[in-house]
Amino acid sequence: QEVTLKLHQFLPAQANVPKLVLDVWADKIEAASEGRIKVDRFPSMQLGGTPPELLDQAIDGVADVVWTVVGYTPGRFPTTEVFELPFMVEDARAASCAYWTMFEEHMEDKEFKGVKILGTWVHGPGMFHTADPVETPADLEGMKIRGGSRLVNQLLTLAGATPVGMPVPAVSEGLSKGVIDGTTIPWEVTAALKVPELVENHTEFEGPALYNLTFVLAMNEGVFNGMSADLQQIVDDNSGMNFSVFAGGTQSDADGPAREIAVEMGNNIITVSDTSEWQALVNPLYDTWVADMKGKGLDGQALIDQARGLMSGECAGAMGKM
Amino acid sequence: MYQFMDRVARLFAILGGIILSILIVQTCLSILGRSISSILHSDFMQTNLPGLASSLLSTGVGSINGAFELVEAGMAFVIFAFLPLCQLKGAHASVDIFTSQLPARANVLLRTVIEVIFALVIVLIAYELSQGMLSKLRTGQTTFILEFPVWWPYALSLIAAVASAIVAVYVACMRVIEMATGQTLLPLDLEAEH
Amino acid sequence: MSDITIGLLSFPALLILIFLRVPIGLAMFLGGLVGLTIVSGDTTLAFARLKSETFTTFSSYSLSIIPMFLLMGHFATLGGMSQALFKAAESFLGHRKGGVAMAAVGACAGFGAICGSSLATAATMSRVALPELRRYGYSGGFSTATLAAGGTLGILIPPSIVLVIYAILTEQNIAKLFLAAFIPGILAAMGYMLTISIYVRLHPDSAGTRPRVPYSERFKALIAVWPVLLVFAAVVGGIYQGWFTPTEGAAVGAFGTGLIAFLGGGLTRATLSESFFVTARSTAMIFFIVLGAAFYNGFLALTQLPQEAAAWVGASGFSPWTVLIIILVFYLLLGCLMDSLSMILLTIPIFWPIVQELDFNLVSMVDLQSARLDAMIAAGKEIPAAALAEAQTMLASGQELTRELTREIKLRGVSEGALNRVNIERTAIWFGILVLIVVEVGLITPPVGMNLFVINAMDRKTPMVETYKAVMYFVGSDLVRVVLLVAFPIITLMLLPI
Ligand code: NA
Ligand code: NA
Repeated sequence: QEVTLKLHQFLPAQANVPKLVLDVWADKIEAASEGRIKVDRFPSMQLGGTPPELLDQAIDGVADVVWTVVGYTPGRFPTTEVFELPFMVEDARAASCAYWTMFEEHMEDKEFKGVKILGTWVHGPGMFHTADPVETPADLEGMKIRGGSRLVNQLLTLAGATPVGMPVPAVSEGLSKGVIDGTTIPWEVTAALKVPELVENHTEFEGPALYNLTFVLAMNEGVFNGMSADLQQIVDDNSGMNFSVFAGGTQSDADGPAREIAVEMGNNIITVSDTSEWQALVNPLYDTWVADMKGKGLDGQALIDQARGLMSGECAGAMGKM
Repeated sequence: MYQFMDRVARLFAILGGIILSILIVQTCLSILGRSISSILHSDFMQTNLPGLASSLLSTGVGSINGAFELVEAGMAFVIFAFLPLCQLKGAHASVDIFTSQLPARANVLLRTVIEVIFALVIVLIAYELSQGMLSKLRTGQTTFILEFPVWWPYALSLIAAVASAIVAVYVACMRVIEMATGQTLLPLDLEAEH
Repeated sequence: MSDITIGLLSFPALLILIFLRVPIGLAMFLGGLVGLTIVSGDTTLAFARLKSETFTTFSSYSLSIIPMFLLMGHFATLGGMSQALFKAAESFLGHRKGGVAMAAVGACAGFGAICGSSLATAATMSRVALPELRRYGYSGGFSTATLAAGGTLGILIPPSIVLVIYAILTEQNIAKLFLAAFIPGILAAMGYMLTISIYVRLHPDSAGTRPRVPYSERFKALIAVWPVLLVFAAVVGGIYQGWFTPTEGAAVGAFGTGLIAFLGGGLTRATLSESFFVTARSTAMIFFIVLGAAFYNGFLALTQLPQEAAAWVGASGFSPWTVLIIILVFYLLLGCLMDSLSMILLTIPIFWPIVQELDFNLVSMVDLQSARLDAMIAAGKEIPAAALAEAQTMLASGQELTRELTREIKLRGVSEGALNRVNIERTAIWFGILVLIVVEVGLITPPVGMNLFVINAMDRKTPMVETYKAVMYFVGSDLVRVVLLVAFPIITLMLLPI
């Protein structure tokens, strides 16, 4: 082969995203290039470093391609946070489509300058998994909860919970030892982390999700530019809008089977249909966020409006297929 | 010169020790706060003394927010600050069972080469750390909970890393001069006690 | 040359560097640097990793336990705990044949319960016990060998820095590893005492006698060790009970021992500075090895060697026991030349993927279901009486519960996946303890045994050869224990709930 790409990420190889999204992407590129591109896959941070460093690893060439949670590096990619706002996103496909559209318009040449982004997506609805049932914000008071992002942590603080920072792979251990009383993650991750065996209560929300995280698949720019034009074309053909929607959709489709496991075990699944109390709690977060963005020279309200418009407009019902 | 380097190394070790102690005390306070808060939240307090419990809780007693992040940020400085003394005293673990059979001159040569390489490595580490710091400064990355800029702890660590590099270069230079002149400049048997 | 070949060649290269007295951390660092440069074609990748990897390695929350444990051990000495322990042990055992040596081992075990490092335990207890041993006519080699072996209890008995590193490398629960280390640690202490009584029978002139101490004084001496018990209970107990994380436990221990030392007058400005200096040297040494190992292992992963090795062993059809024994023997041999922490850091990333795939069948589905059912009963969950009775009959006769039955009882966490996870965890813990013991043997095996060196440096009058001769008895006791623990995994796993 002509090019070997080192694909580095933080989850074990058999987890949903590596298996259902990243492997599919890598296999397609290998097949389309008839073996001229080979993708070596390094799961579980095998190449060293910690998850927050993944993006820098792609920029600096420690790895060629990385998959990472944008929120692991708070403050660096403020625009992406529009999709992480509480009760913002309902459908992962529509959101991933809007994310890619806004990425091309606002982020490609600014926040993500210096690295080639191959895909942008969000996971399915983020929710609570707790030892004691959570139905209203008051139930969270005094609980130690692992939050998924900067904004989730702010939400937890507002509700009187203590946000705890820990990477996803540490959640099982934290729950079983009582270091945390609960965690925020989408259903999809719960199966691999054995969350339904460790806690009995799950709180989902009707309509827009409590929160979402944003992901990117990123590639070293020099490596991409160094490839021959036809190989570059193959990478481009399998990346971008279509891949992003596929990735977001596949990840959120994996929620269903994972939820089944909790149902099977007879766990208590709370579905909050009247979210007004929660909405009231998070409204100040929107204001602080817009003010934060203003401090960074960004028009937060316009971003919110654009994202909402896209998700209910041209991105509604988006489908991606690989 | 040795006196000066010794003083620098000890100063950094003490600074590191002080930060380490602060982190220890902070961790203990955080546990204390957490325990008090969970006692106040307990069913007993909530049913019998709800007024007292809520007024105490409103003072903000609880675990220290982001204590975890402060430990991480401080610990990097602590370790870099401990490095100069380790370097000056030659306290790094090594295996000398085979080299003890070699003639004295070979041992002197070996020791000199090793110290020079070691100094180069530590200079490299300090240099790349400065590059890392500049990159964090540029991107404005913050920590997760407390949201302070990541470059702050990098900058603190860099100060100690530069001190380590200076001490390492000093030790290497002394070894080179020792080999060239046959004199003994650094105290022999630096690491007698562990 | 393929990447895997480069990875394979890096081993002999690394060993040559280490045997040329290159500090072990530096050798691994250079191995990683040169290896990455060869594999990737230039230095960009290697240098880029350094931009953040030194910082993130040094700022690890889990590793911050190391300086805290080191400081705690030093404070414990300043607080007079090592003297108190030895005095108490001596008052109970001293009058027996070989009793002062047994007391030294007992005191080492006690000190090991509040100190995370072998070298610190060996050095501290030698300072207290060596003069006493010589005063009562114990021969030089026997005395130094006893303390070198006793020093290994510093790591065998929790808390333990090596176990912390192992836990981080294999992503296992530190608290569970500490708990599992407890019985093997006690066995080690008992084995050493037995060894001493055999040794003094074979060499009657190597030990003198000491008068019996009246019971009133014995109990006074015993009461003086309360701070040790308090600190051990708070730290190890607190970590296990989930009151705090291991790092928090270490902080509590360091603070508590510091406070006790301060109140007892042992902690002054001068001794505090000295504690910082000692902690600084050991901490920086350990972290440089950790950094070098992280760098080197990142290079190995890039060559795909560990992944390929695991796949090869998996496909080779060796029995799990063969693989385990080969690995343990390898450690024993390497231990003659290298120190324990470096060995763990260097080899676990290669061996763990292999061991993880081995099935030792440590837990069956029936065990798992019984344990989960007992937990439900203990938690006072409501269970339909008829179903419960049926389930208990089935489990008692060694039968797995049917799916219908587990659903009726609402028995959670008994899937095939859960069983597999429990088995991997127990394998990891059992293997970890076995590795811990064999690498600790390395501390007292000639020619390179760090504990031997430390103690010999404190007793220059005793020739090294005398120590080597006497220490082989203790090595023998270690080997017997390893065989026992390999043959009966339950000894290690007894205290661990499934
Ligand atoms: Na110990
Ligand atoms: Na040895």
